[in-house]
Amino acid sequence: MSGRAVALVGGATTKFGVRASTWSELAQEVGAALFRAVPELEAKEVDSLFVGAAMPERFAFQSHVAPLVAEQMGIRPTRVLQRTELACASGQSAIRSAYAAIAAGLSDVAVAVGVEKMNLPSMAEANAAMACVLDRAWDGPAGLTAPPYFAMVAQRHMLEFGTTEEQLAAVSEKNHRFANSNPNAHFYEKTYPRDKLLRLPLVSPPLRLGDCAAMTDGAAAVVLVSEELAHRYPGPKAWIRGSGQYSDFHNLANAGSLTEWPGMKRAATEALEMARIGVRDLDFAELHDCFSISEIVEYEALGLCGRGEGGRFAADGRGDIGGDVVVNPRGGLLGCGHPLGATGIAQAVEVYEQFAGKVPSARQVPSPEWALVHNLSGSANVHSVMVYHRGRAA
Amino acid sequence: MSRERRRTRPSVVLPVVPEGPEVPAPPPPPPTTKRKRAAEPRPFLLDFFPVETEAGTRLARFFDRLREGRLSTTRCARDDLLLWPPRTACPRCHTEELEWVDLPDRGRLYAFSAVLVGAPLGMEKDVPFSVGLVDLEGAPLRLFGRIEGRPWNELEIGAAVRVESYETDDGRVYYRFRATE
Repeated sequence: MSGRAVALVGGATTKFGVRASTWSELAQEVGAALFRAVPELEAKEVDSLFVGAAMPERFAFQSHVAPLVAEQMGIRPTRVLQRTELACASGQSAIRSAYAAIAAGLSDVAVAVGVEKMNLPSMAEANAAMACVLDRAWDGPAGLTAPPYFAMVAQRHMLEFGTTEEQLAAVSEKNHRFANSNPNAHFYEKTYPRDKLLRLPLVSPPLRLGDCAAMTDGAAAVVLVSEELAHRYPGPKAWIRGSGQYSDFHNLANAGSLTEWPGMKRAATEALEMARIGVRDLDFAELHDCFSISEIVEYEALGLCGRGEGGRFAADGRGDIGGDVVVNPRGGLLGCGHPLGATGIAQAVEVYEQFAGKVPSARQVPSPEWALVHNLSGSANVHSVMVYHRGRAA
Repeated sequence: MSRERRRTRPSVVLPVVPEGPEVPAPPPPPPTTKRKRAAEPRPFLLDFFPVETEAGTRLARFFDRLREGRLSTTRCARDDLLLWPPRTACPRCHTEELEWVDLPDRGRLYAFSAVLVGAPLGMEKDVPFSVGLVDLEGAPLRLFGRIEGRPWNELEIGAAVRVESYETDDGRVYYRFRATE
């Protein structure tokens, strides 16, 4: 790793859910929340702003959102101002871009924000927007959206490895349980025991409603600073220690096996090697559980268990507090909802708050030091991974 | 706002709007006369079907062949690489000299599911519909498509399907699969 060390020194999220707020109002709300959460931060010090937003053109009929967000948040960037778009990983892209700018010496204090407003008066329109993440011209006309794609992943995983609906429900039950101690989660104070999850209606068989992350409105923001300025922020820090990204394919015809995500393995290996740790060193991981089956395949791709063993890993509680490694203590995408651009930032906020010991005890990982954040995007064709450490810059 | 600008602007006192739901109703819109307009092109940006004619794509031949009932694609002879979707340049050697080949019209289901809720705009009337990945027989391609002819709960992995072309409401052409057993 070369360049300056980069610390994440604080962050905030809005309430996630079906919000009676516009896209811009969510940006203002998260700005207000960020400056409350990080009182040392002064707007005039922020030299760069990165805005993760997957589809404001579709969801809010608004392009050129970076200056819009700057105005909403009261920030006037002088170094780098840009939007980052990588569908479901747009938020992590904003953090990665901020990290690159600071490491390169171009920025000293950067804010990375994610905003998405997905609940529209016409949900058919919102579903069409989601479909254009995939190959719109060559897979879209058949009606491809995320649920049928991940349903086929689940079907193949069941066929090849004997994974069961009960094991899928185990993932969803865990993440909804964690979300119950996260007041900003979409499904806060809603309980989903396994038997209830197994009775919910099918969305795309074999996936039921509880296996699918919701269409959610929300925003999240974090502050990243260079090692030289980190001392100005008295709280704990989450130092970025590793980063990896890999793109496999785009059209489904070029996907290869549905049940093996080599791109995630490569991205995670790259990030862990950069941090000079192994997967066993992780105290917790925020994995992209857009669907329950995603988390199961991700256990395997990350090397937490062998290929095909992800279902059993879930059912045995090995991703729970007290297990091998805590997965998705924030509540995951299943429990928090998935406002595309905000998700990756909200995961980083969770890393910071876990390191700071600021989360409710029901989801607090005991004395965490190492955390990994993963986002997939599209049809799991792109994987983005970052590794954070609590104490050391290098 | 910078301090400098704040100084140069005199502060003004504007009336505060009281909180509460009482907002006077807007005046009724002025009467309008309906004017006849020429037919508009259909909205383009929420339409999934690709541009199909030579006026808009270099792959018009795909759709011309499809209209004759034949599914085809491009192939790079230099790399012996069958390419999907059809394209104009080889991703390996980057030649733009690709040849057109016809694809098999039979295949078997590798995986399938269905859309029971949450269909995109324009497909709501199709719900429930089945979709799947089909291994073409005799070509190293696994294509995604709509599966007709059987409801999802009567499909099986490995079931035989055949390729068919169909016309959209506005006269364009696309392909799909039909379960044959």
